[in-house]
Amino acid sequence: MNRPRPFFLDLLAIRLPIGGLVSIMHRASGALLSLVIPALLYGLMLSLRSPEDFASVQAFFGGWIGSLIGLCLLWALLHHLFAGLRHLGFDIGWGEEKLRARLTAKLAMAAAILLVGLVALYNLMNAGGAV
Amino acid sequence: MRHVGGSHRGLDMWLLQRASAIYMALFLPIFLICALTAGPLDYAVWHGLFDSLSMKVASFLFIAAMLAHAWIGLREIFIDYLHCASCTLLRLALYFAFAVLYLACLVWAVDILWSVR
Repeated sequence: MNRPRPFFLDLLAIRLPIGGLVSIMHRASGALLSLVIPALLYGLMLSLRSPEDFASVQAFFGGWIGSLIGLCLLWALLHHLFAGLRHLGFDIGWGEEKLRARLTAKLAMAAAILLVGLVALYNLMNAGGAV
Repeated sequence: MRHVGGSHRGLDMWLLQRASAIYMALFLPIFLICALTAGPLDYAVWHGLFDSLSMKVASFLFIAAMLAHAWIGLREIFIDYLHCASCTLLRLALYFAFAVLYLACLVWAVDILWSVR
């Protein structure tokens, strides 16, 4: 029997629970990080090759487009890391209860955003000091 | 007896995903501490950080773990979203393309790390 089943996929109306949000962002950040690996290796190569290339990498991440890219990647890394640690907890049976899972989801999300905010603030203050 | 190749590989990959995750989660904070305590980060300090064989090996393992982790993660995404009947070939092509890309990255990483001397 293949009766047509109700189908509802209005992405603007669907509200994900916090655990679902952290989970899909874990996936999205992982995909983003996977795709930028070659670019990051290129940056590592330049940074280690010569003082001039090191300076150009530094200048790139010091400029506002570069620092925006850097902060986005840092957020992706931190969110992926914290959400991943949460999933490792689930693997050993820690934090699976509803309330605790919600709490750790909020913590993972908040920690990543907070740390990126701190780094952004630090960058701004340093840039202000250099000018 | 049926031999369906996928089932055991799935468990291996599940395990490798966790193992690589744990290694990266341990390496990153240690590396960060090493970098932050090495002094103000100029070229000499950054370059010197990768001078020792232990740092080269540890960093290489990090990059290898990252590449394996990324490949398995992307495979998971492709499996979830590309499951129409005619998508099998596309999926296999994507596995192949990323395997080639990431293996090239692995060799490149060796060259980058071991050219520090």
